[in-house]
Amino acid sequence: MEKKTVSKFVSIIFISIMALIWVIPLLYTFFSSFKSEADIQSNAFTLLPINWVIDNYQDVLFKNTSAPVAKWFMNSLTISVSHTVLVLVIVSLAGYGYSRMKFKGRNAIFAFLMASMMFPAVVNLIPLYKIIDTLGWVNNFLAAIVPGSAAVFNIFLVRQFMQGIPIDFDESARVDGASDFQIFTKLILPLIKPVLTVVALFTFTGSWNDFLWPTIAFNDIEKMPITPGLQLLQGMYALDIGHALTGALIAILPTFILYLFTQKYFMESLSLSSGVKG
Amino acid sequence: MINAGGKKYRKKRLNFSPYLYIGPHLILFTIFFLIPTLYGIYISFTNWDLIGNPEFVGFSNYTEILFNKDSTFYEQLRVGLGNTFKFVLFTVPACIIVPLLLAAGLNTKPRGFKFFQVLFYMPTLFSVSAVMIIFSMLFSVSFGPINHYLNVETNWLATQPYAWITLVVVTVWWTIGANLIIYLAALNGVSKDIYEAASIDGANSIQKFFRITLPSIRAQILYTLVITTIAQFNVYGQPLMLTKGGPASSTSVLLMYIQENAFGSGNSIAGIGSAMAVILGLCIMVVSAIQFIFLRQRD
Repeated sequence: MEKKTVSKFVSIIFISIMALIWVIPLLYTFFSSFKSEADIQSNAFTLLPINWVIDNYQDVLFKNTSAPVAKWFMNSLTISVSHTVLVLVIVSLAGYGYSRMKFKGRNAIFAFLMASMMFPAVVNLIPLYKIIDTLGWVNNFLAAIVPGSAAVFNIFLVRQFMQGIPIDFDESARVDGASDFQIFTKLILPLIKPVLTVVALFTFTGSWNDFLWPTIAFNDIEKMPITPGLQLLQGMYALDIGHALTGALIAILPTFILYLFTQKYFMESLSLSSGVKG
Repeated sequence: MINAGGKKYRKKRLNFSPYLYIGPHLILFTIFFLIPTLYGIYISFTNWDLIGNPEFVGFSNYTEILFNKDSTFYEQLRVGLGNTFKFVLFTVPACIIVPLLLAAGLNTKPRGFKFFQVLFYMPTLFSVSAVMIIFSMLFSVSFGPINHYLNVETNWLATQPYAWITLVVVTVWWTIGANLIIYLAALNGVSKDIYEAASIDGANSIQKFFRITLPSIRAQILYTLVITTIAQFNVYGQPLMLTKGGPASSTSVLLMYIQENAFGSGNSIAGIGSAMAVILGLCIMVVSAIQFIFLRQRD
């Protein structure tokens, strides 16, 4: 018994110290964003603002024309939402095709797609830019919306999930005279909502946070998403804690809020993807 | 629109309609993955400036960056690939061990378990550029709280070994979330009776960790090891924004040079950039394969 309490005590101490390390950067960012210029100058090292002001937010969002954070934010929102919708349509269609339809070459094509996931994406970076350029998509939202929908992993997830739905459902619907497309929209889509939710959450988050590709595909300040935008912002506010941290906080807010409401899905899908329950 | 037609028509439709479902993705996959990947390999054998037509030069890009000791590109590959490997070597063990320890601690379901889980996972959902801004402020020499509270004047981001230490700390803070959740879920599946029985036999917590915890989640450790390694090979944002690749190029990673050569301010040298990308891709594949074979063998 004695031993048990000691080890429990040690682990609580360890976790608490780690939790502090994790929480301090977040609190520092949050509180600094509400400090006034004078506040930061005179008490740079106290956590709480002396008086809470929203000047940083007004400046960063609307006043700096060379780093228009509000515009970037809306650009990101447009891009991430559009990309997510596109991915949902593409993967549910493809998932249905690979899991519930019989056709020549089905397994071969799917195996090829799976094998392609092993191939490092870094190799296609440079030609991808050329393709975007040819399509006239440089500095166009489409550059951040469309290419990512070529990804395979989500199709794998959706197909896995669909295979858990008995094929008898389709058969009996077909006997009742339903077409493939009706079976897909009326029967299958409602049933795969859980997996589509997971795909939507990870796709939105991934799109919102994408960094390398948008820095290549966008160089027009008015058109860029917020993630590459922050790189410019960092250069501008290198010595300006309040404004720089406010920019960062605005950029992490959407995924933060999304996560607070949907953490169950994040947790479950992670444990599933690593085959814990498989 | 697909509608039910006569028997003859129906038969024909059955042969064609699956391609309507998989077609949209296959077209996107071809245009935005397959073609650029094959083209990426092709242009690594060419002289190309992104604008004109690629001119085939055989293996000369590769000989240039691999063997021509006088070339700047040889130097870039040596430094960039070396630093990328260093980064992988420093961060991967930390990104496995730290979440393992946390998972072992949290497995006893202490009070506030849910809060801890949410807290440790959260940074994973932030973009690299936001996280790097936060940490460049935290670690700032003159106005950073870290120096102030440790009461030191360390130049974390511009002197070694501190630049590497900072990069590793930031990367661990930013990326362990997924691994932690995976380990926790796996540990959840381990029956508590085994731990009880071990306690009765007089095993202490350290023995339990090595004899029960680790062996029971081996599959997850292998999975996270491979995934984490691939992710860390693609390191780009952290050194770019935190240490600016410095001091003296000591944290400049290969992706920074690839990006610089292809899309930098000067003339584009996309052929060389592509050859570097192919080499990086090969490294990732080889290392993943080695991990896989080595760990599978011991099963």
